[in-house]
Amino acid sequence: MNQPGLRASWPTRPAVLTDPAGVSERSGRVLAPGGGGRSAESWKKDIVRQLKHRDLSQHAMFQDLIRFYTQLLEKTSLAKGILSCSVRRPSSDSSSSVSSLLQRNNQLKKTTGELAYQVVELQQQIKIKECVLEEQHARLSEEERRLAGVLDARQELQERVGQVQEKNGALKMEYDVLLERQREAETRLREEKVKEGHLLEDMIHLKKQAAARMNSRNERRSRARQANLQKELQTAARSKVTVDSSSSAPTSRSTSPKKENHDPESTEKPHTRLFRSASATSPRILNSIRELFDRKRRGHSVCSLEEDLMCPVGICVSARVPVRARQALEAHEQGINAVRFSSSSDLLATGGTDRVIKLWEVRAGSLTHRATLEGSTEGVTCIDFNPTGLKILAASYDKSALLWQRDESVPKLTLTGHSRKVTAARFSSLPHQVVTGSADRTIRLWDLHRAACVQVADVPSYCSDLVCSENSIISGHYDCKIRVWDTRTVSCVQELPAQGKVTSLDISSDHRQLLSCCRDDCLQLVDLRRWSNDRMCFRAEGFKCGSDSTKAVISPDGCFLAAGSADGAVYIWNFSTGKLETRLPDQHSSSISAVSWSLSGEHVVSVDKRGLAVLWSDI
Amino acid sequence: MILETFMADDKDVLRDVWFGRIPTSFTLNQDEVTEREAEPYYLLLPRVSYLTLVTDKVKKHFLKVMRAEDVEEMWFEYEGTPLKWHYPIGVLFDLHASNTVLPWSITVHFKNFPDSDLLHCPSSSVVEAHFMSSIKEADALKHKSQVVNDMQKKDHKQLWMGLQNDKFDQFWAMNRKLMEYPTEEGGFRYIPFRIYQTMSDRPFIQRLFRPVSPEGNVHTLGDLMKEMDPAALPNDGEPKRYQVVIHGIEPLLETPLQWLSEHLSHPDNFLHICVIPTPTD
Repeated sequence: MNQPGLRASWPTRPAVLTDPAGVSERSGRVLAPGGGGRSAESWKKDIVRQLKHRDLSQHAMFQDLIRFYTQLLEKTSLAKGILSCSVRRPSSDSSSSVSSLLQRNNQLKKTTGELAYQVVELQQQIKIKECVLEEQHARLSEEERRLAGVLDARQELQERVGQVQEKNGALKMEYDVLLERQREAETRLREEKVKEGHLLEDMIHLKKQAAARMNSRNERRSRARQANLQKELQTAARSKVTVDSSSSAPTSRSTSPKKENHDPESTEKPHTRLFRSASATSPRILNSIRELFDRKRRGHSVCSLEEDLMCPVGICVSARVPVRARQALEAHEQGINAVRFSSSSDLLATGGTDRVIKLWEVRAGSLTHRATLEGSTEGVTCIDFNPTGLKILAASYDKSALLWQRDESVPKLTLTGHSRKVTAARFSSLPHQVVTGSADRTIRLWDLHRAACVQVADVPSYCSDLVCSENSIISGHYDCKIRVWDTRTVSCVQELPAQGKVTSLDISSDHRQLLSCCRDDCLQLVDLRRWSNDRMCFRAEGFKCGSDSTKAVISPDGCFLAAGSADGAVYIWNFSTGKLETRLPDQHSSSISAVSWSLSGEHVVSVDKRGLAVLWSDI
Repeated sequence: MILETFMADDKDVLRDVWFGRIPTSFTLNQDEVTEREAEPYYLLLPRVSYLTLVTDKVKKHFLKVMRAEDVEEMWFEYEGTPLKWHYPIGVLFDLHASNTVLPWSITVHFKNFPDSDLLHCPSSSVVEAHFMSSIKEADALKHKSQVVNDMQKKDHKQLWMGLQNDKFDQFWAMNRKLMEYPTEEGGFRYIPFRIYQTMSDRPFIQRLFRPVSPEGNVHTLGDLMKEMDPAALPNDGEPKRYQVVIHGIEPLLETPLQWLSEHLSHPDNFLHICVIPTPTD
């Protein structure tokens, strides 16, 4: 119905224009169909061309037109809308319509004002937001800068780390090299040590061989000497000798049964007793024997077999009771504890608190000083000579026993092992054995070859003195007991009671009688062979045992007993009568510590606590 | 160089096909009750889209002059023929008004919806469903539905959105997958096509047709027409009685069918072919 005039005019002509063109085009094409030899390109090109043409005619032509039309339509509709609005108002009042128009105008102005205000506000907000954004940008860039700085620092540190690591690597290499060298050096050292060990072994071996050879040589020589000796003795024995009738034909007899494992050809032991000055046997034999000894004495050996074997044992025929003092001598500076005559009667030994042992020769009724033996670090308690008289043994406060060769002032051996003072040291019946008794309640056996203690016997009490016989060791103790020990087994075989604390022991020359001196001023004599308990007790008025180590002796012939008293007098008892024989006062001003009777029976020497030694004899 | 021009040509063809427009004028039916006189509305309709998708402005324009209570579902008609909205616009134009005067004059109705001729279209989702089903049907013919089933839901959506918003790149980003074929085949399994005839009781011809013959010959448009509608082709010596129109143009009969399917298909992947009588003037 309502057809706007716009429709009629313009569309048609373009259509007319296009149509014939399009038709002609199309018909043109139809007239030449199916022509052979058209390539793929041609139909495509044809299609492209057609499409372009179509668009041109259908699209391009109308595009602008339709756009403008639509815009115009909108504008008019808007205007129409406004007009129609105003028309629809109650049209009674034209003026009111005008006023309403004005009102509307005002309203519109207000809205525009409001809108403008809103615009301004929004713009401000935009500005604020932009500020915030800029701030954030600034902060971001700062952070980025800091980050860059930190990264640089990190880079630097990493580089340093790398450097340090390199240095470490270099150091480690050096260290490895050094370690290698050290290891090499160590292995070489070990090899050298092994070589050293081998060399030492070889050397020792060679030395052993040399020593063995020496020993065999020595043995051969000694055997040769022995053979020689035997031969000589035989010849001497067989030779005719002008002797007294009292002397028996010289035949060789074995003397001490205990020497069974040795050469039985020891010296003969005549029945009759010999005086020192007279000898019943042929002087020749004795001299030749002595000469042999002299030749064979060697300087440095501690003991030799021959020496120990061939020792002449003298026997006293009768002892003479001393009557007067021949000489009083200040032998030592301090107190003398021990005095002993050697078994060959040449020498006297004294020893005491001043730590030395002095050797004296007794000649023509006087003592002449021969030698001084040093070496003890404390006082000497007991002295003993070995049977040959060439060795001197001393027991000392310094817990040791010392051995000297007669001619040497320096001790050959020091036997240590006791833990307290050694109270007695004796040569044992075995040739190279020594027995010591000590305050440490042991008795020790020592081997002189090895210079070592071979056995220790524990005793219940302080051992004050001991003596040795063939098979036994007899010791006296502070517990008032005398103990007898078997030498081989070193076990106590008997205990003999004593009257009191035993201060000293002495054994008679025939080893039958044992004299013990006790602290309760009593001397006891026990017969060892009988093992009976009958003892003879000897007392005397005025006799007081002066100390715990007062020594009493039996005379060499076994008839008398001598002891020194605290009052400075020597008391001598007769054994057979049991009574005091004599008393020798006035020489000592202090308590007598020890007495000794010479083997010949002529002399008695007493020593005291002041260092005085008095020589007594009967002449 | 020839290859490049080929490619460039192909791209041009695709773009031209997509951006094809038909100038249309919409006139309100005289019988409609209006408050005042309604001006006609002019619009360049995209050939590849559907009527109900692109005529919102038309509706708004005409609603300005009508009362709300008089408005029912809008429908279009050309010279008495109700226009089926589920045909692409280009097909409708080529079929009914291809050799007529431009702009295409469509009459707009708001009453008396012809239920027997037209489908209702209450919303754009109906159009979407129709569009997607066409794509799936086409792919069933081309690839046994493998490609379209491999695509995700968002890809389907992308196709639809590309069409709805007129986005060539967005649409073809997905659609090219549907245009691929394994090289050993030489083409699709079957060519999806529909042949529309003006004077026919059938709505359209659609049958199975291979792009390559068993001997290996490439089928052309002429082979297809010979097979499907031999009457459309002129006999030797006779003047042409029918035009074979696709997208408003007449491709040469020796054009390979495979190429046509790839480049001259509508967005719904079908090759819509119109056979119209040659104009006699």
